[in-house]
Amino acid sequence: MRVVLPLVLCLTLLVLSFAPLLAADDFVRPAAAAQTGGDDFDAEFDDDFDDDFDDDFDDDFDDDFGDESEAQPRPLIADPLEPWNRGVFLVNDKLYFYLFKPVARGYRVVPRPVRTSIGNFFSNLSTPVRAVNALLQLKVRDVGTELGRLAVNSTIGWGGLFDPAGYSLRWKKKSEDFGQTLGFYGVKSGWYLVLPIFGPSSVRDGAGLVVDQFLDPLLYADIKVREYYSLRALERVNALSLDADSYEKFKRDALDPYLFIRAAYAQHRLANIRK
Amino acid sequence: MKRIFVPLLLSLLLVSSLLWAATGPTQQIQQIVDTVLQVLNRTDLDYAAKRREVSGLVQTHINVQSISQRTLAVHWKKATPQQRERFSKLFVQVLEATYLNRIEDYSGGRVDYLNERVKGDKAIVDTQFVSDKVEIPVQYKMVREQGIWQIYDVVIENVSLVRNYRSSYGQIVSSEGFDGLFARLESKLAEPPVAGKKQ
Repeated sequence: MRVVLPLVLCLTLLVLSFAPLLAADDFVRPAAAAQTGGDDFDAEFDDDFDDDFDDDFDDDFDDDFGDESEAQPRPLIADPLEPWNRGVFLVNDKLYFYLFKPVARGYRVVPRPVRTSIGNFFSNLSTPVRAVNALLQLKVRDVGTELGRLAVNSTIGWGGLFDPAGYSLRWKKKSEDFGQTLGFYGVKSGWYLVLPIFGPSSVRDGAGLVVDQFLDPLLYADIKVREYYSLRALERVNALSLDADSYEKFKRDALDPYLFIRAAYAQHRLANIRK
Repeated sequence: MKRIFVPLLLSLLLVSSLLWAATGPTQQIQQIVDTVLQVLNRTDLDYAAKRREVSGLVQTHINVQSISQRTLAVHWKKATPQQRERFSKLFVQVLEATYLNRIEDYSGGRVDYLNERVKGDKAIVDTQFVSDKVEIPVQYKMVREQGIWQIYDVVIENVSLVRNYRSSYGQIVSSEGFDGLFARLESKLAEPPVAGKKQ
């Protein structure tokens, strides 16, 4: 049962993803183009520099003197499902304020260091996701770092409750997921999707999420279905309790939170894929 | 040999002092950040007063024309001079408020100046905001105009503010026109500031 549901979701999303991927007006630059893979510091430096400067600076200027026939500025990510997405966004907003945040706030009676440790524990458990995807992207050094972190944190770090690898050894965790792997190989993000509960995503990244479920060690542990989902819920609530009201801040700063978060999401993913 | 030694030394000193006197991009950022933090830490002012204090300072260091034009992009061309001016004024206030909010939320940390890359009249300054809870990379993109380094974009955690605002504002202008945008900006600025919640 645990496996069937995600599998069905995965297949559905993969099937759905083919149509928009062919037709999507995706204005995000192909990720592969940005990858130089250089170990040479200077090459990376110049590329970064040029990327940031020439592309960005001139690109922006081109926009200003750009195509007069364009009715509006090109979006960072195609969003033909906007009415639907806005609906889900609104539902998530209500869920957040009326359910998740209150629960997370109540949960804050648990002392912060404990919650941090719990967060570390779950983060350690999700090493396979990061390691496998780094491997798929041929980022050998990152694979080594992740495995090293797993080894050190599981032993010296008391089963993952602490993070001596990150803290003392400065082996920093690097976020990798299947969506990024797909992006690395040039798969465009597809349409913007707001997922119930999970929030901003895209067709590619949503499919990636589903695939990553199979890399969760808990899935293969000898626990009941109910226990499995309870642990996942705990992970989310715990993470939310540690979060410093980021969503409230987006709402406060933005004229239109939906658009703001969409743009932030697109940029964030692009930057992560490049790294 | 002796006759040219003194003039040579003097001219070297002169040149080096000139180089030293020009404020580089990082120093410029440092000045802004230090002043802003100083104002924020003052206990005798309320939030609105703090914003007023900081307001002038931020405006001199932002290249207002450039940042407004880039944000509106295609719409800038279609806008009348009055609309452009009105937008610029409102937008700078929004930027200040956002920046101030962010800094205030995370007050109690320090700013590390990591890196400075200069290419002609453009520069990128990489900083990191570090507190016991978070580490946030903040990158300033600057251009030198008339000797002063001014900011034309701020990239917080890989999210460029200009690009972000451009896509949201762009859509608002397309669907509600400039008047819709101005109305929204003004009502957002009139909102009382929400105090950051402690965890």
